[in-house]
Amino acid sequence: MSDAPVSRGATPVWDALVRILHWSLVLAVATAWLTRHSPGRWHEWLGYATLAIVAVRIAWGFLGPGHARFADFVRGFSATAGYARDVVAHREARYLGHNPLGGWMVIALLAMVGLVGFSGWLYTTDRFWGVPWVEEVHETLSDILFALVALHILGVVFTSLRHRENLLAAMLHGRKPAEAAESDSGGDRRR
Amino acid sequence: MSRRFPKAMLVTALALAPVAIAGATGLATCDSGSPDTWQPQEKLTAMLKEKGWQVRNVKVDGGCYEVYALDDQGERVEAYFHPVTLERVKTSAE
Repeated sequence: MSDAPVSRGATPVWDALVRILHWSLVLAVATAWLTRHSPGRWHEWLGYATLAIVAVRIAWGFLGPGHARFADFVRGFSATAGYARDVVAHREARYLGHNPLGGWMVIALLAMVGLVGFSGWLYTTDRFWGVPWVEEVHETLSDILFALVALHILGVVFTSLRHRENLLAAMLHGRKPAEAAESDSGGDRRR
Repeated sequence: MSRRFPKAMLVTALALAPVAIAGATGLATCDSGSPDTWQPQEKLTAMLKEKGWQVRNVKVDGGCYEVYALDDQGERVEAYFHPVTLERVKTSAE
């Protein structure tokens, strides 16, 4: 992706598919939660929808452009730990795409939605229908997913405050300021 | 930094609020009084096995026994029974 600033100092970061997948996954997970005891098969179909969204996002992580790619944001242990130390020391770099911790959160969320969906599907098979431990696994994984979602939201708010930019808005319109506003942390070392 | 965040957090809090409301699913309710007066779950399980059901789990929901089973046709069923009469209770899904 070109780093050249476009109009209004904003540069495109999240492509349309990334944003559509993000918000449709939010919608599908939230409605799957709300319909978990509803009559009919809404909950099951919403579960399949989350799995389909995750599958497309994983494919896009290999085939998509720029910051959508896993190669753009999945970093090794030492780079991630180094970034975490920088955060603690108030000197972390600003990333246009996902920062190393955010990148691993993306992986964790996709994996956890996949596991919740898979365990839910398992419960609908003749072999595992009604088996208490399968239901417990599905519920526990869901609880972990919601804990990750809460952590994800906290991370977005935290990073937005640190770098004085609105990451929620960026996931809506896809653009970010090419240069960070005067930062609360160690300045604007762009990646 | 825009002021969108407090609103976003409020929306999230509202979306997660149902987490606090656990308990009965509302799929069916049985006016079954005190559990002391109920027939034991084992009796229901034995009765259903007699009919050829493969009972996987029995829970209490809305004052009813909620049974997960494969029925005599091998179909997956989530069925509700009155714990005093052991009569099948229709759910809002049926």
